Amino acid sequence: MSRISIALLLLIAPLVVAQTEWKREIIKFDQFEKLVDQQDDVLYVINFWATWCGPCVKELPDFMAVNEAMKDRKDFKMILVSLDEKSNWQSEVIPFAANNNLNVDIYLLDELRRMNYWIPRVDKKWMGSIPATVFYKNGKKLRFVEKQLHKDALETIIKEVSAL
Amino acid sequence: MKHKLIVMAALLALTVWAVEAQGYKPGDVATDFKLKNVDGKTVSLADYKSAKGFIVIFTCNTCPYAVAYEDRIIALDKKYAPLGYPVIAINPNDPGASTADTYALMQKKAKDKQFTFPYLVDEGQKIYPQYGATKTPHVYVLQKDKKNLVVRYIGAIDNNYKDANDVDEKYVEAAVDALLGGKTIAMATTAAIGCSIKVKK
Repeated sequence: MSRISIALLLLIAPLVVAQTEWKREIIKFDQFEKLVDQQDDVLYVINFWATWCGPCVKELPDFMAVNEAMKDRKDFKMILVSLDEKSNWQSEVIPFAANNNLNVDIYLLDELRRMNYWIPRVDKKWMGSIPATVFYKNGKKLRFVEKQLHKDALETIIKEVSAL
Repeated sequence: MKHKLIVMAALLALTVWAVEAQGYKPGDVATDFKLKNVDGKTVSLADYKSAKGFIVIFTCNTCPYAVAYEDRIIALDKKYAPLGYPVIAINPNDPGASTADTYALMQKKAKDKQFTFPYLVDEGQKIYPQYGATKTPHVYVLQKDKKNLVVRYIGAIDNNYKDANDVDEKYVEAAVDALLGGKTIAMATTAAIGCSIKVKK
């Protein structure tokens, strides 16, 4: 084995390990802004949802299927942002994620007290209904969708924004 | 000529779509409606001859945000109906798509919570798209201006859905107080999380 391939293996090994452990964190809006401002050529698909939101829960299997199909792409990352109550994080959101095989990073945005501050900062047109999905790359917002997305529609948008 | 017509038709279709998708902005004239109330009678805003305006709230039976605001909606009606701004609640959800929002369950909700205001069915889901409501609860404060109903405020009730005791900005009250005092409304639109409106499939 050449030195280069050993070096490559060493580089890749931690990535493989990291992918089996999905992030589960409670964050504030400034942390969210940093999350979507990464200058790394990765397309970030950010889905705002909540366990109590029927259409959100309905679209999640479609999102997971798309994510599964894209899992080898290093320039693609799906993230779920829960708008559940912070008090329901351990009791509802975490078990829901496990039971539904949500193999993506999940954050709970602990900002239900100043919604009129951060909602327009995500998108000026957003009145606050969920599900809502935002597409970012290199800190730039490429698309905002305030409705339930089916698999085909999600794939189409990913194709469109990837071509931008 | 034919091509021109097609282009014009397409443009017209686009315009109509854009208007529908956007809904009202503050300053727009709102439509009146004739909708069935939980008591079986039909309610129109025109029925309220002495009202100065209305607090129209799109809300529903089980959305956690709508439920959290029920008592505050009743309080708004108790405070502002005598001042000329009654609450008119409209349930925009399709009962087929949201089985918790049938007429019978709306009647039960109104009775259990002793609603002091009409709780109307948006039958056929014709009214909420004209207003541009996207979620529950979604508030539209209207002011009568001669024969017109002018939209003055769109958005949330206050800035803390979870805890009424920890609210420091009461958007709807501030808007109606401003109208009653003949002042301009400081915040004419606000955003807040809510449940998406359930559309007929």
